[in-house]
Amino acid sequence: MSLSDLKEWLYGCTHCGTCKEVLNIFAPACPSGEMYRLESYYPSGKMLIARGVTSGALTLDDEVLERIYACTGCLSCEQQCGVYHHQHIFEVVQALRTEAVTHGYLNPAYMIMVDSLKKDDNVFGKPKAERGDWAKEIEIKDASQENVEIIYHAGCMLSFDPELWNIPQSAINIMKATGADVGIMGMEESCCGGRAYEIGYIGEFTKYAEHCIETFNSLGASTVLTSCSDGYSTFKKLYPNTGIEMKFEPLHMVEYIDRLISDGKLKFTKKLPMKVTYHDPCHLGRHLGDGGVYDAPRKILQSIPGIELVEMVRSRENAWCCGAGAGVSQANPELALWTANERLKEARATGASALVTACPWCVRNFRDTVKEYGEDIKIYDISEIVKKAL
Amino acid sequence: MIEALKNTVVAELEKIVGGKFVSTNQADLYIYSYDLTPAESNWPDVVVLPQNLEELREIVALANREKVPVTPYIAGGNVGGLTIPLEGGIIIDLKRMNRIIEVNDTDMYALVEPGVTFGQLKAYLDNNHPTLRYTYAFSPPSTGIASNAIVQGLDNLSFRYGAASAWVCGLEALLATGEVVKIGSGAASKTWQAIAPFPELDGLFLGWQGTTGIVTKMAVNLWPKHAYETAVTLMPMDLEGAYAIFQAIIRTRIPDDLIGTSFQLNKVGEAAYTHLKAPIYPAPPVDPKDPEFVITAEITGNTQKELDAKVEALAEAVKEKCGDHKYLGPDTMPSTTAAFPMQALGVLSSGGGLMWVGTYGPMSTWLETVKRGCELQDKYNIARTCYTRMMNEGHFAGLRWMLPYDKEDPELVQIIKDLCNEQLDLVLETGYIPYKTPVWAVRKLEERVGPGQELN
Repeated sequence: MSLSDLKEWLYGCTHCGTCKEVLNIFAPACPSGEMYRLESYYPSGKMLIARGVTSGALTLDDEVLERIYACTGCLSCEQQCGVYHHQHIFEVVQALRTEAVTHGYLNPAYMIMVDSLKKDDNVFGKPKAERGDWAKEIEIKDASQENVEIIYHAGCMLSFDPELWNIPQSAINIMKATGADVGIMGMEESCCGGRAYEIGYIGEFTKYAEHCIETFNSLGASTVLTSCSDGYSTFKKLYPNTGIEMKFEPLHMVEYIDRLISDGKLKFTKKLPMKVTYHDPCHLGRHLGDGGVYDAPRKILQSIPGIELVEMVRSRENAWCCGAGAGVSQANPELALWTANERLKEARATGASALVTACPWCVRNFRDTVKEYGEDIKIYDISEIVKKAL
Repeated sequence: MIEALKNTVVAELEKIVGGKFVSTNQADLYIYSYDLTPAESNWPDVVVLPQNLEELREIVALANREKVPVTPYIAGGNVGGLTIPLEGGIIIDLKRMNRIIEVNDTDMYALVEPGVTFGQLKAYLDNNHPTLRYTYAFSPPSTGIASNAIVQGLDNLSFRYGAASAWVCGLEALLATGEVVKIGSGAASKTWQAIAPFPELDGLFLGWQGTTGIVTKMAVNLWPKHAYETAVTLMPMDLEGAYAIFQAIIRTRIPDDLIGTSFQLNKVGEAAYTHLKAPIYPAPPVDPKDPEFVITAEITGNTQKELDAKVEALAEAVKEKCGDHKYLGPDTMPSTTAAFPMQALGVLSSGGGLMWVGTYGPMSTWLETVKRGCELQDKYNIARTCYTRMMNEGHFAGLRWMLPYDKEDPELVQIIKDLCNEQLDLVLETGYIPYKTPVWAVRKLEERVGPGQELN
C-alpha cells in the first residue's frame, strides 16, 4: 500500500492520545512513545507525520525516518484506538517506510538485511547452505524430496541462531512422539518475506510470498507448521493478499500442540514445578485480529502437571510488545532491549520465575535483554516446556 | 528564533535535560505546531521534556535570559489552540513530570505533577485507594489533571462541585523569573488539604490559560466513591421542555452530574461506536418523532435504598414541574461514568478535527442561547450538537456546540469557522463567556470590551 492508497485514513486521528495507554488499565501501550516521550514517537504522532508528508509540510528525510522506523509494529495502538481509522495505523507507518524505499531513502541497517535476502534468502547474512543445520542431528524427512503431510517451516531466526535450535528440535520431537508425518525443507527453505514487508520492501515480500505459496502448493502437504509467530502471521494474514490460492493450512505450533492435547494424542508424564507467565507475541495475537491465538498456549501450559500460570497486567490483546518487531531489533537495539526489559519487569512482578512465549524473535530479544539488564527470569519457548514434560 | 540564538538555546537545553529529551527534528516541530482545531498554526523552534522542577526552572531561566517564548504542553487536546506556539520558541512538554506525589486518604486529596493524566490517576486510585475517586473530563484519558483545572474544565462532578478549578486545594508554580511559589496549606504545613485560610492566590494561575506561570504541583480534592450509581435519562421533545426539566432537577440538589446533549449529536455519534466516520455535515434528516434533547442525571448512593429513593424523588420533581411538556422517560441505565475513556469517541471520529465555542453563562439566558445557537447550526446545514452541563448546583451552565469536522475538507473547515464566529457573537450577546479561549475568540472579546481595553 502506498500513502495515496491510504488517504481515507490519514485524517482520522485527532491526536487525542487514547492510543498511548491500554484501555481501562491505563498502563503504557506504545513502546517507542514510552521510551522517547516525544509526540512523534507515539502512533498519533506518526499519523500526523504521514499527514505532513502527504501535504508537503514534511519531507521523508533521515530525521523523519528515524521516527518512522522507531515502531515495533506491535499494533497495540490499533487495539486501544476506537476511531474509524484504527485498523490502519501500522499500515500508514508501513506505507511511509515503503515511500522512503521507493524514493531511495534507505536505512543502512536494513540494506544488510535486504542484500542477504537477495543473496541467501534469509535476513541474517548467513549462507543459504546452513539453513537446515539445526536439524543435522535429527532424523527427519526432506520435504523437498518426499511427500509429507506436514511441512515444518523453521524460518530465518530458528534456522540460523544455534542458541535457539532447541526450539525447532523440541517441536520436531513433539511431533515425532505423536507419530506425525512431518518433514522440513532444509536448505531449500526460504524466508517468508514478512520482515521485508514490515520495513517497506514490498517487492521483496511479494517475491517470497509467491515463491513460498507456489512451493508449498507443489509439494502437496496439507499443513505448513511453524514455531515462528512472525512467519505464521505472514502466512495467515499477508499471503492471502497475493491472490494466489493456498492449498495448505498454515498452523502455529501452539495450535498444533493444543489440538494434540484435545485429541488425547499428547500425554505429559513429567511434573514441572514452575510458576510461569505467558507473553503473547504480537504476531500471534493482535496481528491476527479476531483470529488471535490467545487461549491455546494458556491451555497447553495449564495442562502440564506442576505448572502454575500467572498473568501479567497487560496480556492477550493488550500485551506489551517484546520490542523486536518490524525491524527494530536490527536497526534500533536500544529500543528493542528497553522494551523487552519493561516486559520482563512486568513478568517478574507476577512472581513468575520463567516467561514462556511462542515466537523466536521474542525469545531472542528477551534472552538478550536478560544478559543486558540482568532481570532474574528464565525465558522459554512453549515447545521447550512441552518437550520437558513429555 | 535566529539560528545563532537557536543553537545556543538548544545546546543549553541539552545540558539541562540531556540530548535525548531535546528535539529540533522537523517531525516534532510539525506535530507541536497545530492541534485538532482550525486555529492558526506555527512551528516551535525546539521541544524539550524536563523531568523535574530543577530542570524546568533552568529551562525557564534560560528562556527568560534569552527572551525566548515558552509554551507548556501536556496532551495538546484543549480545543482552544492553547499549546500552539504562535511566536515560536520552546515547547516545554511536561509529560515526563508525571509523579503522583501523594494521595492523602484521610484528607481526601491528591498531590500531582503537571504530567499526571486522568487515566493515570484513575488507575492509581482504583489500585491503591478504591474508596476514593476523582472525576472524568469529557475528554480522552491522556488529558492532564492540572491543565484541566487550569483552564477551568467541566467534569462529571461539576453539578455538585463546579468547574475543575474549584477543586484545587493547593498548588506550586514556577514564575517566569525562576521563582517558585506555593499556595495553600502546603505552603505552611506538610498537608495540602485547602487554600483556606490563606488568600486565594491560586486565582493568579487558574483561568489564566497558563500565561502567568507553570504549575509544577497541584493538589486536588478527591471524593468518596459511592458503591451504588445509576444514570437517569429524560428526552424532551423541545428545548423549552429541556429547560423546564433542568430547572426541576437543579432544585432537587440530587445529582452529582447533570448534562444535556442534542439528540442529533447522539444519533450522529452512534456511528463512531461501530468504528465508522461520524459526520455532522450535511445534517442528516430529522425525524419529527425524535426528541430534541437527551438529559442525563448521574446519581450515587451509599445503599441501593438511598439510590432508589433519589431516583424516585428526581422523577417526581420532573413530573410535578414539567407536566406541560412532552418528554420521554425517565429511564434508568448504567452510569455513564462506565463509558470512560471512550466517552468522547463520538466527537473524535469525523476526520481529525474538533472545534467549539465553549462557554460558561447564566441559566437565565440558557434557553434563548441554546435555541439561537441550534438555529445557527440549522442555517449552516450542520447537525444540532449542543452539549451543556449544569455547574455548581445550577448556579451557572457550561454550554457549547460540539463541531467535529474533517480537517481534509477546506470547504467544511470554512463553514465551521464561520459558524463559530456567529455562535461567538451570539453567546457574547446573551452573557455566555468563552473559556479555554482560542486566540481568535480573545480578539473578538477585546473588540467587545472596546478600543484600548485589551485583555492582558
